[in-house]
Amino acid sequence: MQMAAEIVVVAGLLLSGLLSAPLESQGQPAGYVKIVTGAASIARGGVERPAHPGDAIYQSDGLRTGAYGRLGVTLKDDTRISLGPNSQIDLSEFKFSPAEGQLGLVMKVLRGVAAFVSGRIVALRPNAVRIETPATIVGVRGTHVVIQAEYP
Amino acid sequence: MMRRAGAALALVFAAACQCHVRIVQPATPTPHEIVALLKDPETDTVGRAVVSSTSGGSVELTHTREATRIVVGQPPRAPFRLSQDQIDQLFGEALAALPPAPRHFHLYFDAGSNQLTPASEKLIPEILVFVRNRSVPDVTVVGHTDTTGAARDNIELARSWATTIRDRLVAAGLDSSLVSVASHGEADLLVPTPDDTPNSRNRRVDVSVR
Repeated sequence: MQMAAEIVVVAGLLLSGLLSAPLESQGQPAGYVKIVTGAASIARGGVERPAHPGDAIYQSDGLRTGAYGRLGVTLKDDTRISLGPNSQIDLSEFKFSPAEGQLGLVMKVLRGVAAFVSGRIVALRPNAVRIETPATIVGVRGTHVVIQAEYP
Repeated sequence: MMRRAGAALALVFAAACQCHVRIVQPATPTPHEIVALLKDPETDTVGRAVVSSTSGGSVELTHTREATRIVVGQPPRAPFRLSQDQIDQLFGEALAALPPAPRHFHLYFDAGSNQLTPASEKLIPEILVFVRNRSVPDVTVVGHTDTTGAARDNIELARSWATTIRDRLVAAGLDSSLVSVASHGEADLLVPTPDDTPNSRNRRVDVSVR
């Protein structure tokens, strides 16, 4: 009977491990969280978790901040992205493998305030970098761009 | 009579009240976007951004604090200049969360050997100190070759150089969990050259600390 209970506990632990899987690694990280103030989170595979300095960011991740939140991320090609309060950004594409000819960075600023400093991908293939918003497509040819997307 | 006057008065009040409410209520801002170009925070150079409306029309930003305003379904407005105060007011919160600039260290080997040049050897302890002073560091070690030889062979060669440097850094005390290794072969030159050009500056390992 006690053994059965232990098996249930083990199964439960395994299950909780599986449930947290969507926030585990999917290939190489695109970058890391460097700065967090107030409420900030990472959305991955439909799950939103609080962001902490040092957390890995992957392609397709969403970055979110609350009323007093701020979030700063540095990607592996040196691109820096930061969000002010009440902001929402999706990292739609991040490819940084020049040797394989794979280069691309697409970011969606859905609402709020964002700052962007371009990195190596813009230097190597300027046309492969763009920031999309509900109303525009911004082609960044270097280096420092700020965007406010004022939507209710 | 009294009743009618009362009703009229009530109507006046209602109208006045509605008017009052309208004045007090903050005007809901029209959904819009502002895109601005700023000078690079480290080099002070000004880049370029092309802002294209999803419904047609585009403007180019080429000066610092130059901006455009866009409403969904309309072309971007002609560029205008924002003051530094307006930049701080609109974008200050996001700018305050911009991470520190990454720093790059270029390491070179003595020709045809696995020995670092004396100058590069001195950088190993410097890199460790720099990493220690960053609050949330991550480090990439990327190998690069010049354009002599086959591109495919150069990927492997540059990776072996990068692995050597990673091992040196870890042996010197760098936390290996912070480090990743990559190879860009001959696809990311420091000094642009045509194919099959020997160039000692391009044969390097780039350690970047973020």
